[in-house]
Amino acid sequence: MSYNGVCFFAYNNKDIDYVKLALLAALYVKKFMKNNNTCLITEEGDFKYLVSSRGQDLVDKAFDEVVFTKVKHKQNMRTHFDSPWTKFTSEFKNSNKHLISQYSPFDKTLLLDIDYFVRNDSLDYLFDSDVSVGMYQQARNLKHEPPFLYERYLNPVGIPMWWSTVVYFDKSDVSEMFFDIWAHVADNYEFYKFLYNFPGALFRTDYCVSIAVHLMNGMVGTGDMIHEIRDQKMVYMDQKDELWEVKSPTDWIFLANDRNEPWKDIATRNYYDNIHMMNKRSIDRHWKEMLEVLDV
Amino acid sequence: MDERLAKALEFSNYRSTVENQKRNLRSRVDSLQTITYNNGTFKADKSTISFVNTLINLDNTEIVVVDERNNPIEVSDPKEFLTTLVEAYNGSMNEFLAESKKLAKARSIKKIMDW
Repeated sequence: MSYNGVCFFAYNNKDIDYVKLALLAALYVKKFMKNNNTCLITEEGDFKYLVSSRGQDLVDKAFDEVVFTKVKHKQNMRTHFDSPWTKFTSEFKNSNKHLISQYSPFDKTLLLDIDYFVRNDSLDYLFDSDVSVGMYQQARNLKHEPPFLYERYLNPVGIPMWWSTVVYFDKSDVSEMFFDIWAHVADNYEFYKFLYNFPGALFRTDYCVSIAVHLMNGMVGTGDMIHEIRDQKMVYMDQKDELWEVKSPTDWIFLANDRNEPWKDIATRNYYDNIHMMNKRSIDRHWKEMLEVLDV
Repeated sequence: MDERLAKALEFSNYRSTVENQKRNLRSRVDSLQTITYNNGTFKADKSTISFVNTLINLDNTEIVVVDERNNPIEVSDPKEFLTTLVEAYNGSMNEFLAESKKLAKARSIKKIMDW
């Protein structure tokens, strides 16, 4: 019988307590998924801080495995929004994400970002499938709008963007090849930035995986080497949206911001969707309530 | 602000909220109707159910059905497959009906959000 589970990368910086968010995301996996072994990949210092700040009991409930890494991350500054009116820049340590296949203790692994909250069991099917690598290619926000152009394509006439927020993989030749290409793109990021003409100074793993998918599909626009999860859209809360109320683990109310008229928000009540919650400060503000409704 | 204008704007906000909740509900139904079977992804909708049922009625004991991504999927037990489809369909429709009724009754944003 194979040992399957879910992994999270979390490296703290001075602005965001990533291990605290990972703890909560792992507890949601425990609550809703059947394949709910969890693994935290972090630095020893961050883990010690997590245990001292949240307590050993809660950490033990959230994580079955902990993997310590000693990686010197390249400087990668990311601009975050917290509502349309607050903006801050902080370091984003993601340069070793492609090494997940080496770090993961599992035979079949689901890698989730720490701001991806599982609220149903729809991802469990992956572990019973013969999928080698699976990710989301399409996404929608809380108002059912598609992402901005540069989060759908690498450039206006470019290849489709795949999201590295949720990455499922097994231990096959196909997944090994996928991670090898991801590593190669990461190592030669500036060259691929020029070749694929994508924007920004931020090192984005979304772009790395998108190029890996493109290469593995024989450099054509479509192909099925990489599985598109459930053929559905990943739901995300934009950085300018706000989590307003947590009624239960599956019933949350958000204020969804209007892109064109940022002074406007509409209330939207979401049940059961797995949600990529991009506004990390908003998660932090509701961390306690999100934990309390889990009743752990 | 003129009272009539204030009321009109409040109603407009309410309608935007209702419309978004309806989209949430349809998306939930879509998710509930999406099933995976033998490495294929299927939509448990009227046409899939009717098609599978027709093949069963014509005494097909093993069938091949094209899934959502146009891959042929072998179904060795069509009756079991049909049951899975019907259960997903009924579950989604029951929730769709119950939540639609709740939404129709809620005449304000506060009611929709249970505030």
